[in-house]
Amino acid sequence: MGRFPLYILLLWASSSVAQLVVLALLVPKGKFRKLPFFAAYVALDLCQAIFLVGVYSAPGLSDVTIKDLAWYSECVTLVAQALATTEILRVTLRPYQGIWGLVWRGLMFTSTLVLLLVAMATRGDWEKEKWFELNRGYHLIFAAAVITCLLLIRYYSIHVPAAYKMILAGFCFYSCTEILINTVLQAVLKKSFDAYQPIWQSSTMLSFIVVLFIWAAALWQPLPVEARPPAPPSDSIHQRLSPEINERLRELNENLLRLWKLEARPQ
Amino acid sequence: MSFPLLILFGFAVLLLILLGWVLRTPRVSAKTYSDSVFMDQSDRRNVTYFPQVRQALAVDDFAFLASRGSRSLVCRVRKERRRIALAYLESLRNDFLELWGLARVVASLSPKVSIAQEFERLRLGLTFAVRYETIRITFLLGFAPLPALGSLSEVVGRLAIRLETAMRDLGERSALAANLASSLDGRGLDTP
Repeated sequence: MGRFPLYILLLWASSSVAQLVVLALLVPKGKFRKLPFFAAYVALDLCQAIFLVGVYSAPGLSDVTIKDLAWYSECVTLVAQALATTEILRVTLRPYQGIWGLVWRGLMFTSTLVLLLVAMATRGDWEKEKWFELNRGYHLIFAAAVITCLLLIRYYSIHVPAAYKMILAGFCFYSCTEILINTVLQAVLKKSFDAYQPIWQSSTMLSFIVVLFIWAAALWQPLPVEARPPAPPSDSIHQRLSPEINERLRELNENLLRLWKLEARPQ
Repeated sequence: MSFPLLILFGFAVLLLILLGWVLRTPRVSAKTYSDSVFMDQSDRRNVTYFPQVRQALAVDDFAFLASRGSRSLVCRVRKERRRIALAYLESLRNDFLELWGLARVVASLSPKVSIAQEFERLRLGLTFAVRYETIRITFLLGFAPLPALGSLSEVVGRLAIRLETAMRDLGERSALAANLASSLDGRGLDTP
């Protein structure tokens, strides 16, 4: 562990303590049962910290091996992060089956689109910076997909409980800051990843600590009661009304156009 | 900073801005729409005031005033009546937005949503916004396209009636679901 400056170790310790606090807040009243994937994600993050302490302290491991092991462990937590986010969206949208169908399609579409953007924007020495690029690519796709879902939820005026909103906001904030930190450091320092590793570590850990505080505030209060479906199946209403409403709106638009084009005359 | 990195940076900033915007509390929730706005105001839609607006902007009125009164009086009356027409157009827009919002509520309560229909409605909403602004400017510049304004009012009125029926149906179903929910106990759940 002597390879890290003291301030990095302090940040690491603070992050672990904050994760313990969040885990402790998930235990009472069975909150972890409502959000099992989120609880698992926080626990995995803590396990990753312990694993990394072991890896960095182990004698005889080369730098390349240590780096690879650290990134493999990061992959596990990133998968857990995606699952935890999907879980929260699923819980929020459970009463709105139609919108959930729309949201997961939106997720797939946005992810594919951003994946293409990431592939086009990826530059530099792939062998040296592959983990770094993959990490940034993941966060880009993740943040874009979640924000698309939140936009859809807002468009349909669906209420998201404050606690869930804060958890989702935390995930998105973390991903956005990761992208910014990675991009700025890559652009400003213009050296290999190793050259700015301490700055990268401290800034990402700081943003993660901020997110942990947000989550702690979200979990401080009781989680909302699971919403029941607001109405029995009203599929026929939508199927019948939706084309009709659109037809009326189109008619309204055409009237507006006619109003502008044909009927306008000076008085 | 290279161009790809600049794109990435801009994209991340855009995402942060969007995140901030999307997390703001919306002005009107789905519940408010279905519970109060529509039910309270369905009996006094603005389309019903079209005959009065038509009368206010009738060309004959201005001709009569011009023959009997002074030019300044005609100008003053025209200005005043144009203000009324603009207020009417604004209220039609409010009706449209309200009905558009209600259509979204119908979609959100449906177990199956047609993506094509939803995109179509989104497109219509955007088109409406553009055309509304164009017509408003036309009015501001001194044009009074009355016949089309009449059919516009009619369309809003018809849409209101159809949606009112649908919302009443949904309201009854929601009440039924609420009764069912209240008959079950909430053990194992912590209330906020």
